[in-house]
Amino acid sequence: MAEPVIRLSGVSKSFGLTRAVCTVDLEIFPGEVHGLVGENGAGKSTVMRILAGLYPDYQGGIFVAGSEVRIRGVRQARNLGVAMVHQELSLVPEMSVAENIFLGREPPAKIPGFISRSKAAGRARALLKEIGVELDPRQKVEKLSVARRQLVEIAKGISQNPKVLILDEPSSSLTAPEIRDLFKVVRRLAERGAAVVYISHKLEEIFELTQRVTVMRDGARIASQPTGQWDRASLIKAMVGRELSSLFPHRHAPDKSAVLLELKNLSRPGAFQNISFKIHRGEVLGIYGLMGAGRTDLAEAIFGLGPAAAGEILIAGKNARIRSPAAAKSYGLALVPEDRREKGLVLTQSVARNISLPALKIFSRLGFVKRRQEAREVAAIISEFDIHAASSSVAAETLSGGNQQKVVIGKWLVRPPAILILDEPTRGIDVGAKAEVHAMIDRLASQGMAILLISSELPEVMGMSDRVLVMREGTLAAEFSGADLTAENLGGAAAGAVSFAGISA
Amino acid sequence: MSPDRTRPGAAGPGRKLLPALRDWGIYFALAGVVIAFALISPEFRTRENVMLILLQVSVVGIISTGMLFTILTGGIDLSVGSLLAVAGMFSALFAQQNSPQMNLALACAAPILVGLLGGLINGGVIAAAGVNPLIVTLGTLTAFRGFVIWYRVNPIYNLSPAYRWIGQSSIGPVPLPVVALVLTALAASVALNFTRFGRYVYAVGGNEKAAAAAGINVRLVKLCVYLVSGLCVGIGALVFTSRLGAAQAIAGEGLNLQAIAAVVIGGASLFGGRGTVAKTMVGALIIGVLFNGLVMLNVSSPVQQMVIGAIIITAVWLDGMMRKKG
Repeated sequence: MAEPVIRLSGVSKSFGLTRAVCTVDLEIFPGEVHGLVGENGAGKSTVMRILAGLYPDYQGGIFVAGSEVRIRGVRQARNLGVAMVHQELSLVPEMSVAENIFLGREPPAKIPGFISRSKAAGRARALLKEIGVELDPRQKVEKLSVARRQLVEIAKGISQNPKVLILDEPSSSLTAPEIRDLFKVVRRLAERGAAVVYISHKLEEIFELTQRVTVMRDGARIASQPTGQWDRASLIKAMVGRELSSLFPHRHAPDKSAVLLELKNLSRPGAFQNISFKIHRGEVLGIYGLMGAGRTDLAEAIFGLGPAAAGEILIAGKNARIRSPAAAKSYGLALVPEDRREKGLVLTQSVARNISLPALKIFSRLGFVKRRQEAREVAAIISEFDIHAASSSVAAETLSGGNQQKVVIGKWLVRPPAILILDEPTRGIDVGAKAEVHAMIDRLASQGMAILLISSELPEVMGMSDRVLVMREGTLAAEFSGADLTAENLGGAAAGAVSFAGISA
Repeated sequence: MSPDRTRPGAAGPGRKLLPALRDWGIYFALAGVVIAFALISPEFRTRENVMLILLQVSVVGIISTGMLFTILTGGIDLSVGSLLAVAGMFSALFAQQNSPQMNLALACAAPILVGLLGGLINGGVIAAAGVNPLIVTLGTLTAFRGFVIWYRVNPIYNLSPAYRWIGQSSIGPVPLPVVALVLTALAASVALNFTRFGRYVYAVGGNEKAAAAAGINVRLVKLCVYLVSGLCVGIGALVFTSRLGAAQAIAGEGLNLQAIAAVVIGGASLFGGRGTVAKTMVGALIIGVLFNGLVMLNVSSPVQQMVIGAIIITAVWLDGMMRKKG
């Protein structure tokens, strides 16, 4: 076999006391598409960010074409031929497609210090044509859809003519035809001799596209072997480290006689259309779909954060007018938002103050906060949800992701709501905390709460839910329950009529 | 990725010094400046001078208290100086000696009402229209000043003795304006620490989206902090006008920047969510002591300004440094 283009030997990286990556060995060969899989928080992105020069304080050795290098920054990584397309889009919306692609490497004009827009546009056009994307390079990025931005992001990576291109979950916001285009681009790149590292949660894509798969778990490399030697079960087992079924407690049973929440043709142009469904007491209703399918918009509309333009919301059979979160709260609704740092927590404030915030009205008389009652009830929540914090007065930002998430959920349970909306409740938290959140969902449903569980993780949404609705491009595409609740059905409905197997066609 | 454990920190004896310095540094800074001037200048360390400093700080301190509320929500109120001139003018209209309009109760109530009205305009536009507070209050800074000059360009001098008593009398050795400052600061401190409104102010400033998602009426909170700022301007205008014994259209120029400086030296974040009344008062005192002490040392006014400018930047820079390391 050829010499690896990049070899990692015993690479480690810690954040404070937390070891994110632990003595990882990895070989990446030219001309191969190398799949990198693992659960959220397994350390996949961290390893690749080390390669891309974002964490210069790593330990261990990195060898490029056989000789050891110390990667100290993004620019150096780029010069070594490493380009990374990040999971979070990092484009400047106000700038054009061409300007974004060549940001920091603008082609110079004849007069020194000036840049040539026409050259940049020309090169961008050629590049986009080469990868088969129809886009005007002069268009502003803010006018593009999320999927097209992702393609610009990939074009930006490819424009550096890299020896190693790292794609971190590039398909999460793409539709099936766009994924097909992406695969074509990736294959063409590999044929030209570049190595592509493909990080993805979607195992179908991994089997479809890669020649070699590396599995990571809890910061360590578990295994690395040719794709042909893996099958679905062995891959999942390597990723999770145990049998899947034990992860999902399912003791709750819905009470079909009591509808707690009903939507009738809820619509908001550009986000979601004609959404109708019912949730019963004690039921976990899953909503699955790709990024950008409108799930978060729907959750926020129900909770009054971005009210719907048309349609009805019925709470316990009665028409509810929900124009603000305060109104939603009074109807017994609660929302744990998708991005806990953006909408879930006041990071600089203490854990206690975060927990008591939604219930502060209950804790106060004549505008003054009854501090003793507050402290008592906050302490009860901290112990009930096993929130690990040095004390309840430390800032929320000092907690780990899993504990932060428990704070966001816990703050709504000071006075338990009748209907709890959870938007990606386990994103970015470690396996242990994830299991705790799952147990919590099951317990709350057993107590009669109706839970709307929005999740992009198939095992989670399948394991926890009584029924699963699939959203695609703002509409409800399908509903599955019982024996129909399979990964194939859900994945197929989420991606459109084209099934994953059809992508290769 | 991370095990369920809080981040490391505060372990070992060496690590305790920095947080302590961060929390108490501003008090040490004030103590240091006071001791330095007291050692150098005998005039500085007299009781009369201490009361003079407090008196000089009282108006800025009252205005800074209101400013703190707006800054805590991530906003700002640039209009305070202009609004003070308007409020002072309306106060003086009812305090002229031998005037048929003379009415002490109205002279006290008018600046408060004008202040609240100004706050209502600022807060109303910011909350309802969602325009950036910097822009809104930059606009009203100009508009309020324009209004008061247009309304009455000539100063009002002949204010009644009863009215002037408010700003010029003392309770024991303590001037009444200083009492007003202490009461304002105490009330503000209670509001921020013990009431629901105070919690909401910190929450909105710390993370507006999270506050909204927790069911807090963010717009109402924003409106209220500008009302508080306007109220403080009203109190400040009453104290200022009665102490001076005159009202003029150019009153309060530069007051906005002094108030912002006091809040920021006191360690508040301009992005909101962080700051206390006590430290804001210390910030105001540091500025007051510096001006007074430099005068005692016969430092000329332009040089004073340069020194104070440099100190504002240094204080905030040091605060940021310690925050990063802590």
